[in-house]
Amino acid sequence: MVNPSVPFTDERLPNGLRLIIAEDHLAPVVAVNIWYAVGSKNEVPGKTGFAHLFEHVMFQGSRNVKKAEHIALVQAAGGTINGTTWLDRTNYFETLPSNQLELALWLEADRMGTLLDALSQENLDNQREVVKNEKRSSYDNRPYGSWSEKLQAHLYPEGHPYHHPTIGSMADLDAASLEDVSAFFRTYYAPNNAVLAVVGDVDPAVVRTWADRYFGGIPANPAIPPVRDMTLPPTLGAEIRETVTDQVPLPRIYFGFRAPVVGDRRLDALEVAMQILAGGKGSRLDRRLVRDDQIAQDVVAFVLGFIGGGSIAAGWATLKPGVALERVEAAYLEELDRLTREVVTDDELARAKALIETEELGALSRVEERADRLAMNATLFDDPALIDTMLARYLSVTAEQIRAVAADVFRKDNRLVLTYLPASGSTEEAAE
Amino acid sequence: MTESTVIATRPTPGHPRPYDFPAFERATLANGLQVITAQMPGRPLVTASLILRNGAADDAPDVAGATSLASRAISEGTERYDAVALVEATERLGAGLHADAGWDASTVSIEVPVARLEPALDLLAEVAAHPTFPVREVERLREERLNDLLQARAEPRRRVDEAFIGTIYKPSSPYHQPSGGLAGTVGTLDADRLAHAWRRGFDPRRMTLILAGDLDGAGGGGPVAVAERLFGGWALAPGATAIGGSVSSESAINSRVIKLLDRPGSVQTEIRVGHVGVPRRIEQFAALSVMSAILGGLFNSRLNMKLREEKGYTYGASAGFDPRRGAGPFSARVAVNTEVTVPALVELLAELDRIRQEPVTAVELAAARDFLVGVFPLRFETPGPVVGALGGIVVHDLPDDELATYRPRIEAVSAADIQAVAEARIHPDRAAIIMVGDAARIVGELEAAAIGSVEVIRDADATDPGA
Repeated sequence: MVNPSVPFTDERLPNGLRLIIAEDHLAPVVAVNIWYAVGSKNEVPGKTGFAHLFEHVMFQGSRNVKKAEHIALVQAAGGTINGTTWLDRTNYFETLPSNQLELALWLEADRMGTLLDALSQENLDNQREVVKNEKRSSYDNRPYGSWSEKLQAHLYPEGHPYHHPTIGSMADLDAASLEDVSAFFRTYYAPNNAVLAVVGDVDPAVVRTWADRYFGGIPANPAIPPVRDMTLPPTLGAEIRETVTDQVPLPRIYFGFRAPVVGDRRLDALEVAMQILAGGKGSRLDRRLVRDDQIAQDVVAFVLGFIGGGSIAAGWATLKPGVALERVEAAYLEELDRLTREVVTDDELARAKALIETEELGALSRVEERADRLAMNATLFDDPALIDTMLARYLSVTAEQIRAVAADVFRKDNRLVLTYLPASGSTEEAAE
Repeated sequence: MTESTVIATRPTPGHPRPYDFPAFERATLANGLQVITAQMPGRPLVTASLILRNGAADDAPDVAGATSLASRAISEGTERYDAVALVEATERLGAGLHADAGWDASTVSIEVPVARLEPALDLLAEVAAHPTFPVREVERLREERLNDLLQARAEPRRRVDEAFIGTIYKPSSPYHQPSGGLAGTVGTLDADRLAHAWRRGFDPRRMTLILAGDLDGAGGGGPVAVAERLFGGWALAPGATAIGGSVSSESAINSRVIKLLDRPGSVQTEIRVGHVGVPRRIEQFAALSVMSAILGGLFNSRLNMKLREEKGYTYGASAGFDPRRGAGPFSARVAVNTEVTVPALVELLAELDRIRQEPVTAVELAAARDFLVGVFPLRFETPGPVVGALGGIVVHDLPDDELATYRPRIEAVSAADIQAVAEARIHPDRAAIIMVGDAARIVGELEAAAIGSVEVIRDADATDPGA
């Protein structure tokens, strides 16, 4: 098997901007990915949703770029572009034909340096409405749409930086002011709080010259505040149960557990465990609940990895009509419990690793994914070279490590059970 | 804090590195099965797709959903493997095996490191040629599909899409229902019907195997030799018929129709506006692509600029055609907060009128054209999308140079071409306007807006739009 190896250079500009360059001339394309070490965990009560609202404002123009022009210039250059906000970070990325790299660097530098020159109440109000509609589309107007917010709220205590959702609350979005936006920008959007990864069909010497030219004149912020204390006990301490009534035809049971942080080797083992539990038709949960017992419409299990205090291991089962909740909950939990008692078979482990290997190979073949991972590893772990170790770490996981982490995580006193029941009138007979 | 100094001058692009869509070669096996190989150096993860020209549009209306369900059932048991043994064998290769039925074709695909291509193709061949459609698994899949349709009732997006196609196409058209069918027909599907639907398309002379990736490491004498061993002995299945002819795509409406499906408590209204569109094989395909990008494809499209970036009514608005063997739908799509439903709809309709009534600006034309031309190499970085694009050539009988000539054809599109194609293909006066939202909060304002007469469909009298 091919051992993925991503050669790169790693340096800092005098203003602290970390620049990572990886050359790859297979296709005439280049990916630019800039990670800022700010996410919803940096928000304070009363100002939730701010990091994400700010991400929207970053597309509203800067000193030399008019409203709507940023994306227009990238698209007209034949590029794709987006940004995302998550608990631990905000990132902005574009992939372009390689001859358009300089434009991307200029655009990113212009907004990193001069966003406030273009900031207006009108733009803020407009994007506030867009974000409120994003919240309606992605959460409020969807069946089971509140599950992720409830998962975070239950697994991280009040006051913990991960307690609230990235999208924020409608009240807090309404309260966001121009002053808030300005202060947020001045605090976090500084070159010494960012990592710029450039991957693809480039000449590293030229990239360095352009990075100096465009980003060199942006001053560092020497006073970036530290994140609040994120430490947590390793388990919840007691089982938490909540039942929600929603406009859903079929009941669904969500499970949540506090899990080790990203970077902890135990989380690697837990990721492999999730593949064995619910990674497709050959997995344990699918075979038991969907195929053999035929009590669930679908089953899911996954890890949401975070760096502070704890990650989330979660999953769900959607019930088939007429099946008792208790039966599905018991079957799901039995499969989790079995992982804590018996080691997985050699064949299960080998299959899980073969799938992970192919998935990693596929992911690393795209310049966009490589740029994202280099910037991620530099931002979260100060070590972009971790990009080359991830697959080896998965492949070295043992059956006993899986059993041990399952025993640590899948405990009753570390468990959230969140049950969605159909509101009266929203359930119907299954058509036969 | 020190002020930033940035460079005001916008950089100009360097010389583009030439790009060509990967060269591909055709071979024909002894039984007539076509093999297309695209060598992509440095891409050890190979994608292989077997295309059967037998799609959901080939289902008779009374068994709508049969081909879709059959494509899920073929990996649920074969002559050599039961479902679990098959998935385990696939996983041991680190491979992902997927079968899918689109409107025009069914596809069985595998993604696998090139060193294990031959055993992976062996599994693909087994699934395609020797499915047994075990009754227990077929019944489970049917029940899962019925439950999925039940869940769809609670999803405003799926509900509006179902009602939209159920309104614009005549019931005699396969496009009147989702490709997976609706409860009325899915409920009748059994193992025999699925086997029939699958075998109907099993004619090696009308099948194509497409492979892309770094195929030099394939072993076994190369991919064509491997294909000859694994696929070359296939014969026409009993029941295979010459399908793939024209698809009925008749419009059910000839004037504006407005339906509001009540979903009490909705915080947004899902809106679809559109009508029967175009088949894939039309002369003006390039102009249609550029026009769609300007109207509702780009981030800076007219609809998204107006409804999102100017008004803040939505997280995103889009519009476009879904070209198929027959005339697939044209639709404009948006979800807006309930209180702005009517102004959003009025703005949307105005944009459909405007793209027909006045030429696009030179700036708009250049932006859309340069995007489509420039993004072309980005689309084909890895083997999967290359196989997908070649599959389009096969399914729609397009010339082999379709992809090579794509960029020059896009570059040749003029503002006049765009206006002409918009006039010919977009008809706001004959469009269905379908909404799912909180009727009590919308209907008064909607009727007052004089867009047309409104039919409100409440939950109690909601019927299966495909029935």
